Amino acid sequence: MASRLIRRKTLDSLGLFFVAFVMVSPVILFFLWMISLSLKYEIDNGAYPPILIPENFAWSNYLKVFEENNFLLYFWNSILVTGTATLLALVIGVPAGYGIARLKAEKSAVIIMIARMTPGLSFLIPLFLVFQWLSLIGTLWPQIIIHLVVTVPIVVWIMIGYFETTPIELEEAASIDGATPWQVFRLVALPIAKPGIVVSFILALIFSWNNFVFGIVLANRETRTLPVAVYNMLSFEQVSWGPLAAAALIVTLPVLLLTMFAQRQIVAGLTAGAVKGG
Amino acid sequence: MATVNIQNIQKNYGAVKVIHGIDIDISDGEFVALVGPSGCGKSTLLRMIAGLEEVSGGEIRIGPREVSHIPARDRDIAMVFQNYALYPHMTVEENMGFALKLKKADVAEIKSKVGRAAAILGLEKLLDRYPKQLSGGQRQRVAMGRAIVRDPAVFLFDEPLSNLDAKLRVQMRGEIKTMHQRIGTTTIYVTHDQVEAMTMADKIVVLHDGHIEQIGAPLDLYDRPANIFVAGFIGSPAMNFIDGRIEEGAFRTSKGLILPLPQTLPSIPGGRDLVYGIRPEHIRASTQGIEGRAILVEGTGSELFVRLDAKGEDIACLFRERLDIGFGDTVFAEIDPTKAHLFDKQTGRRI
Repeated sequence: MASRLIRRKTLDSLGLFFVAFVMVSPVILFFLWMISLSLKYEIDNGAYPPILIPENFAWSNYLKVFEENNFLLYFWNSILVTGTATLLALVIGVPAGYGIARLKAEKSAVIIMIARMTPGLSFLIPLFLVFQWLSLIGTLWPQIIIHLVVTVPIVVWIMIGYFETTPIELEEAASIDGATPWQVFRLVALPIAKPGIVVSFILALIFSWNNFVFGIVLANRETRTLPVAVYNMLSFEQVSWGPLAAAALIVTLPVLLLTMFAQRQIVAGLTAGAVKGG
Repeated sequence: MATVNIQNIQKNYGAVKVIHGIDIDISDGEFVALVGPSGCGKSTLLRMIAGLEEVSGGEIRIGPREVSHIPARDRDIAMVFQNYALYPHMTVEENMGFALKLKKADVAEIKSKVGRAAAILGLEKLLDRYPKQLSGGQRQRVAMGRAIVRDPAVFLFDEPLSNLDAKLRVQMRGEIKTMHQRIGTTTIYVTHDQVEAMTMADKIVVLHDGHIEQIGAPLDLYDRPANIFVAGFIGSPAMNFIDGRIEEGAFRTSKGLILPLPQTLPSIPGGRDLVYGIRPEHIRASTQGIEGRAILVEGTGSELFVRLDAKGEDIACLFRERLDIGFGDTVFAEIDPTKAHLFDKQTGRRI
């Protein structure tokens, strides 16, 4: 009886593992192949049958990324654009989400969403002219401003959902305790919403970091961000797969690390104990 | 500490009127319970007193001050919520000291006040815990502590015990009562549980559909309910109501059951439709009286609850003695006529 139960449990977890593997395998294989590409010499790339683990690792591909491009500058550009756009989005989006959730102003939330749904290219050209007229072209500001179109709606929408689920009694208790509306937001609503803020921060960051369309239109040689830089490697160096894969991995790495770090901040059940069944 | 005066208070949600002009006077230090079935407006009324809900008409005074339109934070009240509403990111100590911190009281003062409240409620050892590390009863106590620390003019309780299990509820009921006797702050307590209201309150306000049915001391409501609603709401198990008329000096139902009348009764014209009310605990098992067949028998050890079918009328009886009654047995029940009530069938009022 007991052994059958154990066998059943093992089968269950094996099945679960299999399903999980099938679901994530495209991503894993894709990543493994990218790592393999970035470590192979050009000659191994065309080999048949394909080589996954080369005999000699081509670490030089990574060096080449930094040698042949102004990669560090583009990296810095990306950090500035994504960092500023994401932080600004939090500053704007978290209070906005709170306001919309508390005032039940879903209509304004829809308007914000429309901005996100509009294809970027439809407003990029007019905006390019506006930025030119403001003589902002050649600085990072056009990209920062336009990245807000991506980051603000994400933050607002996630925060609306989050604030709607936090119990209103907590805020009522605070206002009875003598808090002004601003203090209620800052001292009660905001600390409780921390997991929501972290999630929206990560998502906004990923979308902004990987954005390509805005960069390719608005950036010049000095203001390029990483996705655009990777793309340019493709066009100027014929197709040298090794450095390209190395560059792509370098671009992915910061976001990956940050996500892993930030995930720890999302403490499940932070509101547990606030209200019954919470 | 303060008096609370509620005058002609009204609440509308759009065209829907939920509270229809209520007057309540609460004296300094009084413990008032607002009771009624769900949807009667008791919580809305409390939230209006707290300043969490807009007042549609009338006025609320706390002490000499008219507060109907000033924000909750300036009303000098403290409230305990049904689901505790403890700040999850603060320790017990921070939760209890939050109001004082907002008032910019100095650290030593906060510490001593929180310490004193914690001592009253037996929370000294839990001060550095977070709400999620506490049991339901402890959370409820912290919520009360947060109210005590404020030293407010009025305490408001919104069904504070309904999330606790039965045993804990009885215990916390005692603790709230003791706390009130010790601190003496004016208290308004909302509950749907009439037992809570009866045991704790100095004065009970029975609400129904946004109207006050009766205001009075607990035993007044029990002994002299103003109408059928109050008579049925106060007391457990609920009062028996039997339709009938007075004919030939006795109360008779249409099916021929005859019930004894109280001696002191104003003259009632015969033929008027009446309702006879008698509480289950005012019926004795006897060898005479109403004859009925037991259709439900529930014994708790201390008392015996029996439902009788007497000539088609369902009569609940609560016997204090142990009797050997089984399902289907014939039982004689004797009504104490001095405890009987008569109500007008049309208006519901007690005669």
